[in-house]
Amino acid sequence: MKRTTGIVAALAAVGLALTGCSSSNSQNRDAAATLATKTAEAYPTGPVHLVMWWWGEQEAPGAKKWLADTVAGYQQKHPNVTIDTVLQTTDGLIPAFQAAASAKQGPDIEYFWGGIYSQQPAWSGQILPVSDYIAPEELKHYLNASLEDSYKGKVLTAPWYVNPQFPVLVRKDILAANGLKVPTTWPDFLSTCDTLHKAGVTTIAGGVKDGWFGGWLYSMLGGQSMTSRDVTAAVIGQQKFTDPKQSLWWTKLQETQEHHCWNSNINSVELYQAQQQWVSGDAAMTITAGTDAPNFVKKVGADKVEIMTLPTFGDSEFAKKMATTSQTVGITAWTKFPQVDADFIQFMHSPDRLAAWFDATGSLPADDRFDVSKVTDPVKKQLFEMALSGAPYLENFIPAELDSSAIFTNVQLVLQGNRTGEAAAADVQKQMERLRLTKPALVNNFKAWNG
Amino acid sequence: MSSPEVAEVSSARDTAPRPKTRQRARNLGFIPWVAPAAVTILFVFGYSMFQLFAQSFQYHGSWVGLDNFKLVLTDPLFLTAIGHNAMLLAIVPVLLALALLLAILLFETKRGLRGYRATLFFPYILPIPVVGVVFGQLLQFNGALNQALHAVGLGGLAADWLGDPSRALWTMGAIIIWKEVGFGVVLFLARLMSLPSEVFEAARIDGAGFFRMHLHVTIPQLRTLVLFYIVIEAIVMVSWVFNYVYVLTNGQGGPGTSTVVSELYIYREAFQNQAPELAAAAAVLLFIATLVLVVGFFRLQRAGEGTFAE
Repeated sequence: MKRTTGIVAALAAVGLALTGCSSSNSQNRDAAATLATKTAEAYPTGPVHLVMWWWGEQEAPGAKKWLADTVAGYQQKHPNVTIDTVLQTTDGLIPAFQAAASAKQGPDIEYFWGGIYSQQPAWSGQILPVSDYIAPEELKHYLNASLEDSYKGKVLTAPWYVNPQFPVLVRKDILAANGLKVPTTWPDFLSTCDTLHKAGVTTIAGGVKDGWFGGWLYSMLGGQSMTSRDVTAAVIGQQKFTDPKQSLWWTKLQETQEHHCWNSNINSVELYQAQQQWVSGDAAMTITAGTDAPNFVKKVGADKVEIMTLPTFGDSEFAKKMATTSQTVGITAWTKFPQVDADFIQFMHSPDRLAAWFDATGSLPADDRFDVSKVTDPVKKQLFEMALSGAPYLENFIPAELDSSAIFTNVQLVLQGNRTGEAAAADVQKQMERLRLTKPALVNNFKAWNG
Repeated sequence: MSSPEVAEVSSARDTAPRPKTRQRARNLGFIPWVAPAAVTILFVFGYSMFQLFAQSFQYHGSWVGLDNFKLVLTDPLFLTAIGHNAMLLAIVPVLLALALLLAILLFETKRGLRGYRATLFFPYILPIPVVGVVFGQLLQFNGALNQALHAVGLGGLAADWLGDPSRALWTMGAIIIWKEVGFGVVLFLARLMSLPSEVFEAARIDGAGFFRMHLHVTIPQLRTLVLFYIVIEAIVMVSWVFNYVYVLTNGQGGPGTSTVVSELYIYREAFQNQAPELAAAAAVLLFIATLVLVVGFFRLQRAGEGTFAE
């Protein structure tokens, strides 16, 4: 008994001591981000081995072959350099990189989605700004770099290819078979859902089991009532995620659930599985990555398909526009040869490689030196034009943590009918407030990012 | 005692054989034998545990005391995750009852024992990712299970097993039972087959029926194994269910937060949210919870041995 009392007393004393120490250092959490730097050296002449972790074959089929050809071409040009490429899974892309960053070893070149997905690794000192190694005259050609991937005057990662976010693919044949036309307004769209539901046809095929589609919906619906500036304002506390224009999209999402717009198994399948329901004719619409849309259209036949944005309900300056983002590559902070990494990235943007990218994947390289006027396919042309005049992609302007723990989860619950749109918005706001508490530096970084 | 006397005694003590010291030296003779393993364990686990504890009191390398613990313990998601672990703990008695029942039934089985045993043990040897992928497909809303239910006229029982937040955790619990029960069955059966048959014969001669005999004769003889199995499965539910959650929900713990468990929370904080310090604090809490279970097990086991000794 005495021994137990002694242990408890000792633990209490340690606890008190620790509590006493805690408050004085709390302000450490506010520390603003300092970008990693490394002196650029001359291009090495000795053996160089680089590792590149990437993603993209999933949304731009053909990317794997293009990358293999590009590596081979670069190695031919620089015989002292070898490059290994490792394709990552969708769910593993971020965790694998975080594990590598903790160990400070792994890839020399890493793939990043745009916006916050390239900002946060830089704020954590995990990557070197590409603008430290690539000249401004070169970088100015890279699409979307300034809006999404710049911080305090530096470009963090280099855009690789453009992803129009996200086209709605409509099967006119299914609509016609049910006496319907392509809906253009929100009430028309909901009415289409009602009619098709009665006929036993799914209106839109989607899947949220893996969460990512939740972020897509946020950007597509949310973009109709707010801009990226509004989103950032809500992150830093100048607006609330429960404000009418911030929460309207949740209400609209709830309406889609109430009008049975989605496939009944949306919560138990992944997006890529669900999209096949559209191909097989079980759903009238689906939403795909812009890079992959031409492939889907090809499977069904261009004459049966119309590409559109979601029918409008909002009045934001971007309401009728498709969003656009560039998928990027960055240079890791622990690489031994940042100058070689940068040189390879520039090689990816050489005229020959830009043309080869389009030929291999049918998607738009993130470089204004690629001549879009030469694209003859009407589907691709339409997508590229929509992307080039596109709106900011909202999901890229919220903390990744808020995206996965608030947007993904609440979309699942609203689409299942377990949560109202209003409650979802309140939960997002609550989680953001907590995030400001656990990561106050994020707020400062967001302020710095958006000037 | 005068000083010459002291010197004399002291001298005698120095030169005379010291049985206690020799005994102690003999007792320490095991050290060279266990040292390599002990050093390895200390290096592999001790160092990482030290690092984990140290990190749980830091933020970006600076000492923050209990701040990380406070943040973790006030995080609704962490509390939800712990709640889910506790709910999974509640299925341990079901798992135990099922394993005991199946082991006894197999023990009573006269023919086909090997086949039944292999069938029941098979799920246990399957890799969890395989189990997760297979059940993930089977239990989709339009999956094979619901299609089968519709086909036999039981469509009313069809449900979105993994997509409905109110069902997802229990569905996962059922999958864990299916996978883990085989371990218990084999464990109990091995013990049952090594028990002296005279005890059972005596019980039968005394008129004990099936239930009475197994309740009062068989199960008491399995007591230490039962305790062992309970603790092992409790540890599984507290700290080894990550694989199930990760594979069944694509690492999301969804729908919503309905299947988030403490391990997934730690993983997400460490590798998705770039908050290794919060992950470390949560891991320390999980470690302590597991330690309590293990210590509890040893105490129960010792008490059990005492009972048997009596």
